[in-house]
Amino acid sequence: MTSFQSTIGDEEGIAEELAEGQREISIAEFFEKNKHMLGFDSGARGLVTAVKEAVDNALDATEEAGYLPDIYIEIEEVGDYYRLVIEDNGPGITKEQLPKVFGKLLYGSRFHAREQSRGQQGIGISAAVLYSQLTSGQPAKITSRPKGQSRAQYFELIIDTDTNEPEIQADEETTWDRPHGTRIELEMEANMRARQQLHDYVKHTAVVNPHARLELREPGLDEPLKFERATDELPAETKEIRPHPHGVELGALIKMLEATESYSVSGFLQEEFTRVGKKTADSVIDNFRDVYYGRELAWSPPRAHDDRDVAGAVADAVANKGAEATTAFAEGVAETVANNDRISRSELAAIVDNVAETVEGDTGKTFGGTVRENAVDAAWGAITGVGGDEAADSDESDDDSESAEESPLVSDAYALVDDATSTRKDDAAVRAMAEALTRRFENLDGDAFRITLDDLERLVADAASFVAEQRDATFGETARENVVEAFWSRARTVPDDPPKVKAIAGSRDAAADLLDAMRTTDILAPPTDCLAPITAELVEAGLRKEYDADFYAAASRDAEVHGGDPFIVEAGIAYGGEIPAEGSVELLRFANRVPLVYQRGACATTDVIKNIGWRNYGLDQPGGSGLPNGPAVISIHVASTNVPFTSESKDALANVPAIEDEIELAVREAARELKSFLNKRRSMQQRREKQDVLGRILPEMADKVSEVTGRSRPDIDGALARIMNNVSVEREVNGETVTLVVENHSDVNEELEITDIVSTEPTDLSDGTVVDMDGEWFVQWKPEVPSGDERELTYAIDGDADFEVSVGGVETEKLTVNA
Amino acid sequence: MTTESDARDELIDLAADFYDQFAAGDIPEMTLPTRTKSNIEYDTESGVWTYGDRTSTRSANSVRGARKLLKAAYTIEFLADQLDEDRSSTLRELYYLSESWDNDEAQFSSQDESNDLVEDLEIVTGVTREDFHMRPEESGATLMGPLLIREQTRRGEREIHCQEDVGAGGYQIPNNPDMIDFLDDDIDFALAVETGGMRDRLVENGFDEEYNCLVIHLKGQPARATRRITKRVHDELDVPIAVFADGDPWSYRIYGSVAYGSIKSAHLSKYLATPQAEFVGIQPEDIVEYDLPADPLSDSDVNALESELDDPRFQTDYWEEQIELQLDIGKKSEQQSLASRGLDFVTDTYLPERLDAMGVI
Repeated sequence: MTSFQSTIGDEEGIAEELAEGQREISIAEFFEKNKHMLGFDSGARGLVTAVKEAVDNALDATEEAGYLPDIYIEIEEVGDYYRLVIEDNGPGITKEQLPKVFGKLLYGSRFHAREQSRGQQGIGISAAVLYSQLTSGQPAKITSRPKGQSRAQYFELIIDTDTNEPEIQADEETTWDRPHGTRIELEMEANMRARQQLHDYVKHTAVVNPHARLELREPGLDEPLKFERATDELPAETKEIRPHPHGVELGALIKMLEATESYSVSGFLQEEFTRVGKKTADSVIDNFRDVYYGRELAWSPPRAHDDRDVAGAVADAVANKGAEATTAFAEGVAETVANNDRISRSELAAIVDNVAETVEGDTGKTFGGTVRENAVDAAWGAITGVGGDEAADSDESDDDSESAEESPLVSDAYALVDDATSTRKDDAAVRAMAEALTRRFENLDGDAFRITLDDLERLVADAASFVAEQRDATFGETARENVVEAFWSRARTVPDDPPKVKAIAGSRDAAADLLDAMRTTDILAPPTDCLAPITAELVEAGLRKEYDADFYAAASRDAEVHGGDPFIVEAGIAYGGEIPAEGSVELLRFANRVPLVYQRGACATTDVIKNIGWRNYGLDQPGGSGLPNGPAVISIHVASTNVPFTSESKDALANVPAIEDEIELAVREAARELKSFLNKRRSMQQRREKQDVLGRILPEMADKVSEVTGRSRPDIDGALARIMNNVSVEREVNGETVTLVVENHSDVNEELEITDIVSTEPTDLSDGTVVDMDGEWFVQWKPEVPSGDERELTYAIDGDADFEVSVGGVETEKLTVNA
Repeated sequence: MTTESDARDELIDLAADFYDQFAAGDIPEMTLPTRTKSNIEYDTESGVWTYGDRTSTRSANSVRGARKLLKAAYTIEFLADQLDEDRSSTLRELYYLSESWDNDEAQFSSQDESNDLVEDLEIVTGVTREDFHMRPEESGATLMGPLLIREQTRRGEREIHCQEDVGAGGYQIPNNPDMIDFLDDDIDFALAVETGGMRDRLVENGFDEEYNCLVIHLKGQPARATRRITKRVHDELDVPIAVFADGDPWSYRIYGSVAYGSIKSAHLSKYLATPQAEFVGIQPEDIVEYDLPADPLSDSDVNALESELDDPRFQTDYWEEQIELQLDIGKKSEQQSLASRGLDFVTDTYLPERLDAMGVI
């Protein structure tokens, strides 16, 4: 740009001068200046980001190789610097690949894959290496031992920021106690001010990766933080999928067109995209034809009373074929044409071809290409009043138009316009519109009336404004749309073959048309085996592992699609227990199993949580919106082949409505369980309180009435059990018979498990079982007692005995045992 | 009614009921007639309104009910002891006394609560409060008229003439009017007057002497003792009773409780109510006829009038006519508004005219 202007300005030298200062910038240099874009904006955050990148890589590598991840993280103070060590038990990296993986930015296996994975750009770990070398001047020290190799490979490397190539400073074999895996050691200028975020990151990683074992050592910890596995099940292996036709952009499409080995568009679509088979490819191609070539307008063939003589015109156009064949041919064409409601020029050509073949077969005369073309021209002229003979007899046709013998198209157009517009339209205006349209159609290139939808819209708008000017009759937007629709729906897709892939790749417009066609075609949503949701079960297990709560719930939604990328949302809630009750709930955000630590406020998940009415679910929410308060942890996981982040540092989810809807549904699903838990707990608490108060008041009342009446204190347990809607178990010993009376005063049936430990041998059991355990007898019953009913469990003993009864199967709040 | 010696036994019996319920493994409870407007019925035999068949239960099933019953047990003990020792106390004293009980749960949180509980006990045991030796803080009102009585006081018997032996304030009705015997009288009728001002006017104008009238001061909503003595005057001396009150819905209720019994003490209606008592005024009709100075009805007045139309005690032709008239004119007048015609108007004109029309004189 500058140089262009300088030539105009005729100031020689400036361009050269400027050019001297212009040179290529290596990606590594760019990063050096833009550390913040990748999350290395401060020493505190740099450390967290470096850990995050290394751990993400380690998890991806181990899972891919089918190992249960076992990851060790160590941060050490070394003079003014911090040393960061991350070890994994992954498959190791080959000697050849290793320097590039760690020592070259934008080198990775993920970028081109459409599959759920943590890393994507191949930038993270090498950015950490670069950050370390920039701040400490130390090379990255990497040890890797691929499985099966007896020794490990040790490298020291730095990134040459000019060339974005690794520079190896040491390369030797070494021994390592891990049978396979990778170890990276980085020294960097940093501080531990973000210790909380670091701990959160590691803890949250453990929550969403219950199959991983993590260990963190850092100077501030007396004991290493260890996170053990909750499951030995690896996440389902994900399959890479081809792109979905609804999810590609023009540039990507052109690249694919250039790179493909397919020759035809149909083959290209089926080969390169997911969910495209022959049938879908055909509909895409039909749509593509419509956009690329336009459709051919179809017209009504002449009816019996019409004086437009198709047969005559065809017969005239055929010479030297003998009367019989000529007549058969002409009448065949005319008849078939008349059988069509509407007909386009391409359809006419097909009819002529068909009839010609038939007549050739019947008569042995040959109807060659030229003859057929002439016949088509003639017949088309007869049907539409345009074409061949107009050129031949231009005088006559001029006379025709002047003598007001209107083109047969006008009445056809009139019928359509009249039908498409409201009945209130003035008949003269409708006729004027039909005439204006017809004139414009006749001016189209060629005589096939080929037009694209865009052009048709423009043409109708133009005709409408012409009529508005001439006749003072308006055709509003709706009327115009209806007219366009009327013509377009009756127009025919052309039979022309679509251009070949090479041609489309070479033409930006054609490629845009193809993309348009792909997007307008209905295509099945992409398959979801490219995703590995955690599953509701393991979301809950993860929470259970790291939070000591009273209640856990989790929900995993079915896959949905946005912009061609499938995604799954999962949510989990933990409540109560050791979770601090003060302040707002803890929100854990995850994308593809990676915890999001920063920018909580900018995240779509946070927005969704804030807009849910949590009071409804039993959580405190000041003002009825915003983050709820209380002892709860809410975790949200979004898995997708392409998680939409707000920025490159991947801290916050963008506000995509389709994803937000799913997040809300998932969270609400889990919250409903929370609600019923809280309701139940509240009613149990009320029951406990009632029990406490009544348990105090009623004995006092009993004392008082016995005092007033002068009788001994009455037994009130029966009354208490009845009041509490309780289940009571009461022992009556009558000589040698022991009876346990089980009364169910609750409103549901109860199944109890009663074990009575007796010091002498019981006999004559009323069902139940007895087990001798070193001189003590365990008598067991499992009675089912209907609501409001009672059961008597009896046995006999010989002489005195000690008893100890335990009752299970009923909540302790509901149980009164007096035995 | 029960005699005093029975009162203690009745209370102990109630405690024994609770005891038996406990012993049987049942939930202790106490059943009472529902004490609402919708559950009072006209007793044709006695001509008063008493509780109907609907009952509500105070049960230990709930924390609230259990607390009530605990308090009942403590109160029973207190009342039984009080009767044992032949002492008496006021309702307010009971409320404060509960503070000394060893159990926090048994203490009353307000005096309404203790008052209600004593009424509950009256109903369940069939013993009146007076027989429990419980009295209200403020005693009954006063009598003025040609009546000689003998009162049994703690300091011996007293014979008092309610016109000659008393000052301008009249004879103070004791808490338990059944301690009075009527010895002699020269009464043609009794006039129960709502306000102190009007009572004083009548006495000052010598109305009681002139018409041989016993003036009973109601002091607003009459205490039980006032209603009881009114009934005794009617029954024992066989004189007509007329009620003279303001011309507003609240005063009709005063008349209602004298004549028909109150909703809260409907269990005692046969003992307290004087169904033969008649309403002198101020009638809504009088407001129109005498063109009395009047205030507009407030919203709460209108609501009260409408609720009286629903009140079974007021469902008579007379009251429906008067209340509808009052709603129609939208006005109310006080007794004292008669003073707009001069201080003697009430004794010289209004009362003689009204009482004559009613056939009392």
